[in-house]
Amino acid sequence: MAETTMSFGIKQHNDETVIIEIGKALDFRNAADFKALCQQEVEEGARHFILDFSETGVLDSTGLGSIFSLYRQVSPMKGQVVFASVARPVQVVVQLTRTYKVFRQFPTVESACEAL
Amino acid sequence: MPPHVLPSFGLMHSVTHRFNDLDTVIDSLHELFDEWSVSAETGPDFDETTFDRAKLAIHEWVANLVQHADFGAETPRVGLTARLEENTVFCCIEDNSSGFDFEGQIALREHALQAFPERGMGLLMLRACSESLTYEQVSGSVNRLCFTVAADQDPWLNIPF
Repeated sequence: MAETTMSFGIKQHNDETVIIEIGKALDFRNAADFKALCQQEVEEGARHFILDFSETGVLDSTGLGSIFSLYRQVSPMKGQVVFASVARPVQVVVQLTRTYKVFRQFPTVESACEAL
Repeated sequence: MPPHVLPSFGLMHSVTHRFNDLDTVIDSLHELFDEWSVSAETGPDFDETTFDRAKLAIHEWVANLVQHADFGAETPRVGLTARLEENTVFCCIEDNSSGFDFEGQIALREHALQAFPERGMGLLMLRACSESLTYEQVSGSVNRLCFTVAADQDPWLNIPF
């Protein structure tokens, strides 16, 4: 499989909270990279994750599974995973799978930062 | 648009294209579908998320082909036809892999899903998004998946949390 050019941006909000810019896609091609990135952040002390979907056109089942994996990892530490600026293709997946019951959604990254 | 994507937009209500590079097929089909959905003539009451659900279903199927299908020594061929009929998107995907037991895999996944599953949701999401789904071998070397996605659907998938 060709090496994907899809990468993620990271911003540190505070010692325990990071913002991950998902970018164009989170799917079977880069879900392993996402997991590795989140694992590294957890090891460095992060337990709250704001996922910025403002530029995201693709979230598939494997991508969602990698978010579930992150949630399983941080929830025992009272950590949170929240969605921000959810684009329409991502909202379709959220509605289909009813994951709005698990992941709080915020209209902007800034409003998510204020809430955490 | 990459040179291997040569869509025919003669009829804006439909698009047909064949892909033969599994490395680029996902990006290519998203690009193709996005261009088609923008140009498709929809009615005033058409819910644009219908296109998103159709694209998600197509993505899940082709992702499954890319990751798991056995094409043997053949050059992989994946053909997509999408057509808008009133408030329904009709999709058909053909491939030349060896195929698989679709219903058997669905049943397996339905019973095997753990809480917050990491894998195994793709085919279930495809089925939840769609109606009138059929999967069959149409000749010795061609498998065909067809389904519809209707604008008036409000589908959901029961994932254990």
